[in-house]
Amino acid sequence: MLGLLQSEWFKLRKSKVLPILLSGPLVGFFVGFALRYEANELQGQEWYLTILYMNLTYALLFLPLITGVLAGVICRYEHQSGGWKQLLALPVSRGKVFVIKYMLMLLLVLLIQLLYLGTIIAVGAINGISEPFPIEVVWKSILGGWVATFPLLALQLWMSILFKSFAAPFAVNVILTLPSILVINSERFGPYYPWAQPFSMMYIGGNEGDVFFIPWEQLLTVVGGSFVLFFLGGFLYFQRKAA
Amino acid sequence: MIENLLSSDFLKIKRKGFWLLAFLGPFGVVALQMVNYGVRKDYLLQQSNDDWGYYLGNVQSFTPLALVLGIAILTSFMASIENETNAWKQLIALPVTKMGVYLSKFTVLACLLLFSSILLMVFTLAFGLVLDLGSVVPYLDIVQYSFYPFLASLPILALQLWVSTVSQNQGIPITVGILGFILTYSAFFLPDWVIWKWPSLMNDANEPVQNVLLGVGVGCLLYVVGMIDFTRRDVK
Repeated sequence: MLGLLQSEWFKLRKSKVLPILLSGPLVGFFVGFALRYEANELQGQEWYLTILYMNLTYALLFLPLITGVLAGVICRYEHQSGGWKQLLALPVSRGKVFVIKYMLMLLLVLLIQLLYLGTIIAVGAINGISEPFPIEVVWKSILGGWVATFPLLALQLWMSILFKSFAAPFAVNVILTLPSILVINSERFGPYYPWAQPFSMMYIGGNEGDVFFIPWEQLLTVVGGSFVLFFLGGFLYFQRKAA
Repeated sequence: MIENLLSSDFLKIKRKGFWLLAFLGPFGVVALQMVNYGVRKDYLLQQSNDDWGYYLGNVQSFTPLALVLGIAILTSFMASIENETNAWKQLIALPVTKMGVYLSKFTVLACLLLFSSILLMVFTLAFGLVLDLGSVVPYLDIVQYSFYPFLASLPILALQLWVSTVSQNQGIPITVGILGFILTYSAFFLPDWVIWKWPSLMNDANEPVQNVLLGVGVGCLLYVVGMIDFTRRDVK
């Protein structure tokens, strides 16, 4: 298991993943500075508004979309010239390969989230926000956004194993992510759409009472339910896939 | 020569989902409005006296987004046809010029996007008529809203094609596509010279034709730059 993790890590290091990880802070800085003047207009809520605006674009669109790229990168070596055959000829079980790849993706998204946290702090410092940093709220939002990508990553891993090309799984991702722009406006459908959950779980104006910004039932049923569905789907598909 | 290259490229994209994607883009854009108007038609009709104009505005709010991501997907898909089987070398070994190869890829992609634009026009008009938005149908506006974003996004097409053909790792052009998409989504806050603002047809002068002319001009320029770089590179 450890050897498998090491080999995956090694492949990843040769995959130019760093520019992809750094695109998160890039988006954060862009949104943070594009909205600079609006945030300065309201005293006493500078952090709150800065984070609210930054999260809107980042969590609604960037985070769901980037999961597709990460999944593609993580399956890239295997899709080139019979890599699946070589990997699965080794004494490793298919289940372990799938789980390790998935865990590595979780780690990468966590890294992106932490880089984004750094970006929020940097944007605040450069814009000269003197209020105390709402650390507890921000942590909730960062980790919540991470948890919300679990089902998305599972589906994208499934799709990336299924399709040889990079663009096809990404197209699936785009088709499912774009409707979020409309869905979040709807109180009726918003809570049930998995691709809108990164936004809901990073939306700092949300439900303060719970551990995250969405109610527990929604977390368990929508995020948890879709995670189980996509993860099992991908896992079982990979067991039967012809290498 | 170019006719042969084109017919071979059109053959290569057969049954791979290119045409399906080119259909799904405009269909999705109008389908989102079907849902939008299906859920709250009365509310949306109250928003304005010019129901057709308001409807076209709603469609146009998604067109640039679908277009920019669609371009990233199609260009990367196009490059991966050759990448997957290491076919670049074999293709270039044929008695064709590299310029011809690049031109052919660009032309096929432009045809796909043109096909999408035509479908967008048809779907927009059809659903607008179903909604019964008024007797005066703004045909000219529908044509403009369907084709202007495509023409204004030619620089993005040229740039994405260049990045995808020279990248070994298709994660890079897709990430560039996502960043461009974020810029297009934030078009309102951008200065006029940013190419990712152009498909939204917004500018300070409020003159959509300006974006179209800039798009065609800069698109040709970026196309030539990308083509020259492609011809000078070693094919792996």
